[in-house]
Amino acid sequence: MKGGMKRRVLLRVNGEDHEVLIKSNRTLIEVLRQDLHLMGAKEACGMGACGACTVLVNGKPVHSCMTLAEEVEGKEVETIEGLAQGGELHPLQKAFMDYHAFQCGFCTPGMIMAAKALLNRNLHPTEEEVKSAISGNLCRCTGYGNIVEAILSTAREIEK
Amino acid sequence: MDRFRYVNKDIKRTDGALIVTGRAQYTADIEHPGMLYGKILRSPHSHARIKEIRSESAKKLKGVKAVVTGKEIGYRRFSFIDTPAYPADETPLAVDKVRFIGEGVAAVAAATEEIALKALALIEVEYEELPAVFDPEEALQDGAPAVHDVIEPNTTTAWEDFGIPRKARPYTVVHNISNKTLIEYGDVEKAFKEADYVREDRFIIPATSHVAMEPHAAVANYQPTGKLDVWLTHMGYEHKRFWLAKLLNIPISRVKVHRTYVGGAFGGKSSFFPYEFIAAYLSKLTLRPVKITLSREEVFSVCPPSRRMIIRVKTGVKREGRITAQHVKIIDDVGAYRSSSPTAMYLAHVFRNPIYDIPNVRHEAFGVYTNKLPTVAKRGHGLPQMSFAVESNLDTICEDLGLDKVEMRLKNFRKKGDLLPNGDTLTSYALPECLKQAVAGIGWNEKYDKKRFRGLGIGTASMFSGSHNFPFSSAAFVRLNHDGRVILYSGQTEFGNAVDTVMAQIVAEVLNCSMDDVIVHSGDSEVCPHDIGNWLSAGVFISGKSVMMAALDLKEQMLTYAEEGLRTPIDRLEMVNGWVVSQSDKTNRASFSDISKYAIQKAGGDPLIGKGYSKCVPEVYFWKEEFNKIASLSSGKGRFTEAYGLAAATAEVEVRPETGEVKILKMVVADDCGTPINVTSVKGQILSQAVMGIGDVLFEEVMMKSGRVINPNLLEYKIPTVTEIPPIDSVIVDSYEPKGPFGAKEVGETSRAAVIAAIANAICNAIRILEAISPAMKT
Repeated sequence: MKGGMKRRVLLRVNGEDHEVLIKSNRTLIEVLRQDLHLMGAKEACGMGACGACTVLVNGKPVHSCMTLAEEVEGKEVETIEGLAQGGELHPLQKAFMDYHAFQCGFCTPGMIMAAKALLNRNLHPTEEEVKSAISGNLCRCTGYGNIVEAILSTAREIEK
Repeated sequence: MDRFRYVNKDIKRTDGALIVTGRAQYTADIEHPGMLYGKILRSPHSHARIKEIRSESAKKLKGVKAVVTGKEIGYRRFSFIDTPAYPADETPLAVDKVRFIGEGVAAVAAATEEIALKALALIEVEYEELPAVFDPEEALQDGAPAVHDVIEPNTTTAWEDFGIPRKARPYTVVHNISNKTLIEYGDVEKAFKEADYVREDRFIIPATSHVAMEPHAAVANYQPTGKLDVWLTHMGYEHKRFWLAKLLNIPISRVKVHRTYVGGAFGGKSSFFPYEFIAAYLSKLTLRPVKITLSREEVFSVCPPSRRMIIRVKTGVKREGRITAQHVKIIDDVGAYRSSSPTAMYLAHVFRNPIYDIPNVRHEAFGVYTNKLPTVAKRGHGLPQMSFAVESNLDTICEDLGLDKVEMRLKNFRKKGDLLPNGDTLTSYALPECLKQAVAGIGWNEKYDKKRFRGLGIGTASMFSGSHNFPFSSAAFVRLNHDGRVILYSGQTEFGNAVDTVMAQIVAEVLNCSMDDVIVHSGDSEVCPHDIGNWLSAGVFISGKSVMMAALDLKEQMLTYAEEGLRTPIDRLEMVNGWVVSQSDKTNRASFSDISKYAIQKAGGDPLIGKGYSKCVPEVYFWKEEFNKIASLSSGKGRFTEAYGLAAATAEVEVRPETGEVKILKMVVADDCGTPINVTSVKGQILSQAVMGIGDVLFEEVMMKSGRVINPNLLEYKIPTVTEIPPIDSVIVDSYEPKGPFGAKEVGETSRAAVIAAIANAICNAIRILEAISPAMKT
């Protein structure tokens, strides 16, 4: 069989440990969606060209469609499902709602995770830095302006 | 403007929390216990006869539950357009021959996608290759390969099912002509002779893809009771359940299209798709849920992109710039199946008709079959191609004659109240105001012809607000609950258009209650009533109107009970924040909850459900003899719509002479959409189209070589990213459309065409020649 034998892999996702039995060719997005039923990350291109599948690994954005699940063993994986804490939305989630930063919403989970990665390393991003951080995330609906606004406003909000 | 509480306001999406938490459920996210995965084997040839398909070894593979071929399914024909004159020409899988690379020939359902793919590799297909034709002008010649012969209708058409007395007849394809349109008024030849200047240009416009972020998908769950449950990526359930019922021969009421979120559509998910039938067929065969998700490569290479057209525009003008005649000739390269071509060729005229008042017009169009990927509507359906061609032609005429490009257009615009040749009236019309605002916003007078390699351009567009075409009309129910809240049932589909929010605004405005007290149940074909869908740009104008009428009906029923309970005449009562209040004595009041409880207890259990409906151009219907005599997509006669959305755009660009690189410096898009229901959402629609238009002109083209799509992925097919967006002003010009709900009309499809024309004209203005500079738009 392609991908060889199945292997037991320990994944830490949104602070929870999951043991999965997978072949080595399984991508992270497949395992998140099919094995862990975390449907937030979306597959839109399957080749790392659109960013809809963006999740964080140790705080950094990765294309989960281009990452093998076993590569992230022992690392901290964060998906859109882990963002709201204690029933409270993350400031980025609130800002995306306030600024109408989505229409169809299919790119939104990836877009928010890319923005989260930016704010993890830079709490005072300029407009150019925001654009650069999401330049690999395609959105066909919004024209991007409201997304950039939402991310900049979150940075201002967190600073307060 | 201030007379509204919820309409014409910035209202946040009521379902936003689902989207930002990743909880909104798209078709790709639907899972069922025991679900199988479907995959489709596709033709490697552009044109070939299928001699034999051997699938025994695929069937034997462990985990494979079903294998089907085109021969087994047979000639179950469907199409986007299916009228007595143009019967359906497509089958779910090729039966006798394949007509384009990527057409399905067999399908598999298996326990996993991996097994399904393995099984496809085990299916052997023996083909006899046939000569193929790729160029539509060659396809028209004597002796060109025939893509189709005779198309025999084998089901009744939607038109017949809804009462048109004409019967579907076989369509014999001659010279690969799929469909013809000829619309004429005035005397074009005479007017050309009398014109001071006549100019003809030819434009070749390739296809661009919709690139909705969610790839196409279907989940079908056929129940042993004979009911079919489906989850689809779509733009309105009537068209989908019509074809599923017809092709599977099950009652339409037993096909349930479930509500899903749809990850973008732009016209590209409107038509019925082979994979949707195949998922349902495989589910019926296995009695298990079946899911088919297309890969991005499949979306690019087998799902129809925008229409490919060759357009000739010949325009005659008087010296001072008055347009006296226009002859448009279109060759529409439809590909292997005609899909929406008969409508598109008609719309190409209809959508430009409200813009310029041209007394003598001939609009000739031919859909031509080729051995290529079929094409379909994309945001504007024929309008972007036509706006680009006509506005380019006019700009060049202005340059040739030294006419002011703004004045020339203003001089030729139609006027509010004008009666169009087909009988439609422009009851609202703010196109001149749109152009003035777009021109002022870009700084036209200060900037025009001031800097080398800088250019300014104008584009215009118009779009209907629904039509009387299938699915014809919409209805809605509003139900009062005993807690005083209301539930709206509407068949509208969410794909980025904020329908739940917009429809809740309409209900809250009518009942003057809190938006929080309006719950929306949408997009469920079993519970919600008939709906025209979110195509034909009909969402707000037709379905929104039906929602408004349903809320008004409920209001009247509630006031009737309140009149009795409060002992106050109905005309002295008003609704305020969930209460019915006497105008003369504010303490004399009953809550919505009280009224519901009263109706249940005292009035025999009356559930208080408001019903509303709306049909575009209701005077046009199939039982009307006069309509049946004249109505035809081919001649463009007869009423069509009740309101047109309009837009004007301007663009400023800079072209680097050394490299030809184009930089857009600024764009202004002014859209006459009547009164916006949701201002933020309307601006979002305009910006979305502006950015899509940038992609159309500067980046995008579905590139084909010998019938094969050669850039079927998002690395080689580039769409605009955040780094390529210039400053864009979106301006709403509120013309108040008296027939729309609260003055609203279409907004989702007009601007893109205006933007495409504006950018193209700006580039030509910068370099002073009408020449090939963009991948998408060549002359």
